[in-house]
Amino acid sequence: MPRIGNSLLRKAHALDPFLPALLAPCRDIHAAQNELRWLRQHVDRVAKARRARGDTLAKGSLLRQLVSERASGKPLQYILGTEYFGDLEIRCRSGVLIPRQDTAASVTNLVRLLRDAQKLPPELRLLDLCTGTGCVPLLFRHELYTARDDVDLHILGVDVSPKALKLAHYNMQRAHRSMPRGKMRLIRADVVLNPFADQDGDALPLKVALNHSGLPPFWDILVSNPPYISPSNYWTTTTRSVRGYEPKLALVPPSIASQSDTEQGDLFYPRLLEIARDVEAKIVLLEVADLDQAQRVAQRAHNLSIFDGIEIWRERPDINTQAPAGVDNVSIIGEGNARSVLCWRGAGAAWLGKATASAGRDDALRLFRSYGHLPHGDASQAGTSPMEPQFDWPTTPPSEQDLPMAFHNARIARRSRDRFRERLSRRGTGLWTDHPYPEDYYFIRTSFGLQKRRRKP
Amino acid sequence: MISAPWVCCNCLSRTGKTLFRRSLRYQSTATSGNVPKALLTRARDIAIEHKVLSEKLANGFDTRAAKKLGEYSPIVNALGKWDKASESVTELTSLIHDSTTDSELRSLAADDLEETRAQLAAASQSLITSLVPVHPFAHLPCLLEIRPGAGGSEAAIFAGDLFRMYLAFCNGNGFRTGILKYENINGTSEAGVPLSEAIIEVESDDAYGVFRCEAGVHRVQRVPATETKGRTHTSAASVHVLPSLQDNSSVQEDFDNPESDYYIDQKEVKVEVMRASGAGGQHVNKTESAVRLTHTPTNTVVAMQDSRSQHKNKEAAWALLRSRIAQSRREKREEEMANMRRSVIGVAKMGRGDKVRTYNWGQQRVTDHRSGITVHGLDDVMEGGQTLSKVMDSVRGWLMERDVEALIAEEAEKK
Ligand SMILES: C[S@@+](CC[C@H](N)C(=O)[O-])C[C@H]1O[C@@H](n2cnc3c(N)ncnc32)[C@H](O)[C@@H]1O
Repeated sequence: MPRIGNSLLRKAHALDPFLPALLAPCRDIHAAQNELRWLRQHVDRVAKARRARGDTLAKGSLLRQLVSERASGKPLQYILGTEYFGDLEIRCRSGVLIPRQDTAASVTNLVRLLRDAQKLPPELRLLDLCTGTGCVPLLFRHELYTARDDVDLHILGVDVSPKALKLAHYNMQRAHRSMPRGKMRLIRADVVLNPFADQDGDALPLKVALNHSGLPPFWDILVSNPPYISPSNYWTTTTRSVRGYEPKLALVPPSIASQSDTEQGDLFYPRLLEIARDVEAKIVLLEVADLDQAQRVAQRAHNLSIFDGIEIWRERPDINTQAPAGVDNVSIIGEGNARSVLCWRGAGAAWLGKATASAGRDDALRLFRSYGHLPHGDASQAGTSPMEPQFDWPTTPPSEQDLPMAFHNARIARRSRDRFRERLSRRGTGLWTDHPYPEDYYFIRTSFGLQKRRRKP
Repeated sequence: MISAPWVCCNCLSRTGKTLFRRSLRYQSTATSGNVPKALLTRARDIAIEHKVLSEKLANGFDTRAAKKLGEYSPIVNALGKWDKASESVTELTSLIHDSTTDSELRSLAADDLEETRAQLAAASQSLITSLVPVHPFAHLPCLLEIRPGAGGSEAAIFAGDLFRMYLAFCNGNGFRTGILKYENINGTSEAGVPLSEAIIEVESDDAYGVFRCEAGVHRVQRVPATETKGRTHTSAASVHVLPSLQDNSSVQEDFDNPESDYYIDQKEVKVEVMRASGAGGQHVNKTESAVRLTHTPTNTVVAMQDSRSQHKNKEAAWALLRSRIAQSRREKREEEMANMRRSVIGVAKMGRGDKVRTYNWGQQRVTDHRSGITVHGLDDVMEGGQTLSKVMDSVRGWLMERDVEALIAEEAEKK
């Protein structure tokens, strides 16, 4: 990092003795002034709260301490404990990724399209994988509810990190208090774990976790901002404050033997697309690092041949500049760096106001066929099966052995969905708080099957 | 044709209860019972039109006629009262001058005359008031923008003094306020630290009507705290007053009407958000939340960075942009009108560049250069107290006189 010039430091010092220290993380004087103002406001609030409790606080020394923490690179959001995400104030805590404005812009744009939909299902299900603070579904909900009152949202946030889940739980409760509508739920699961591999970790594969929690296997919209930075980009492209203070788990996908740097960066996407297919999502929105990754993801989505349309969104997708559709009819929308990939199928097209898609039967058949592309679960027979699909499920399924495992699991889950719905109707609306924190339990695979264990304190 | 919007008595009495404390002076114009002839003619024309409209309305409903009628009736009522009072005065006067009147009756009439004259004066005032077109923004909340002018850091300190003066005034007079922007040059809001820019939103209805007289350059004469040789300096701060269009449903309806002052074509506004150059996304955890809007046809630029929420900054920036554009459109029209009138009468223009008031610490006085008032309770003024109200009242009275003059000029032009 280039050094900050002496004249700038002197100028900053003349304005306020605290400013020079803040120039290191902020780089320019205006940004440093803003941060100093916010830090001061924070200190004032803290002091006021303490006074109300009868305590006193040396404001000067607290400010000095916070400024020096900030100067050493600690993100302001961790110091102040919050970040603004669209219209929402989201709680932040170290150990959980800070929500990014770019993510908010994509979510806002998605809801902007949905708000104008002629018809949305009265119960809309939103699945957010890698939820972190829970910011994505919370903004989605906020934006949709301020525009429409004919939809009831059911939200499920999934993360592998107990810290993230705890924070997301807090954020969801707060949001639910201020707008008690719909349902929100969180579960702990690992979205990259192969559901059929033996696992010894304590997080379950998503599908299994859904099943165990009695959650529905089908979701209308899938969103995800997964870890997407490759190891080499981690060192060259992220800022020091990100590397020094934000969890690597949230940024860089795990490494698997014999995969390239790029493949590691892309690790989540094939799994996320498979999940999208399994849950029969009508709309999928995945955040990406840059245009190259966006194009790779779009290509993969295309290869799955279940989607009616794919778009790449830039950082400001609301700005109406549209590059001519390139390969495979994928248009690139907006201004700035490429930031997300949007896919839709079936009814999703109408929800987004896109040209109409294929008929329901074709969609179901297509979905069924696509299992032939699955990397795991031998589906060669199922993919070419001449069966007539009905609804979204074959009437006479092939014998158990012939079915791809994914189908098998989905069917089990489907049964539990009915149970789940019944439970819902008994429980009425509200936040599902009768489940303990997900990290209180873990599952192990034993010779008797999966067993739920309570964690020892 | 009468094209100006008309004041409704009720609104006006809400706008400034003390608007008309001082009586109006019209030395050079012909008056009839204190009402300038030209205005009386205007009132009578309106009364005739009012009658026509009433008849029209009796034959079937017509929204436009009904609206016009609503605007005219305060004038017609005021005219009715004025006619009555004026008649009584004439009657009593002739009674007194009639030699056949017996002395007892005459002394009774003389007693009555005094009271009736007072009634006539009051009726004249309300007739004039009802005729003066109300400012189209008067009913709106407003924004007060305060910036230091010439005079270095002393000007910036004085800008901070004005900021606190207006806040205190609002507090003391039941105006709700919000701070849209506050920038000390070091990011605090402590007293004595030079202010670089502040915007107060006065959220109460009718605030624009009350504060519009504050627009202009405010001059300070004092020995700055930083001055070691005890010399008096002269510095200045400027105050802009804009209509606030936030949360005003009647105005917001006009946001989409290209004819209205409040209309902005979204396509003509460039929205820029501050973002760190480079990769974005998960790679950076920047805190920049600044938003900048540029209205390309007028090259009006508004930047907001006060809040950590980009969303809030954007909202605030839009509000400010709408206000600025509405104000400049209005000013442009006012200027055109003033130019038209100037041939007839020298209408004092109250532009943003004009020096409007002086605050003199050495003599502990405040002088307003428009109404000519001088008050001595400087401290009370700076604390937003009664003395400030008094100054503001006097300026509103002065403004009203200008409006009446303009009205008379307009009538004269018609002939
Ligand atoms: C980039 S963060 C996104 C957080 C949040 N959605 C947002 O936009 O701010 C990625 C999240 O994925 C979680 N995560 C990492 N690996 C995971 C896995 N294998 N399964 C599920 N979640 C995982 C991390 O804990 C982290 O919270």
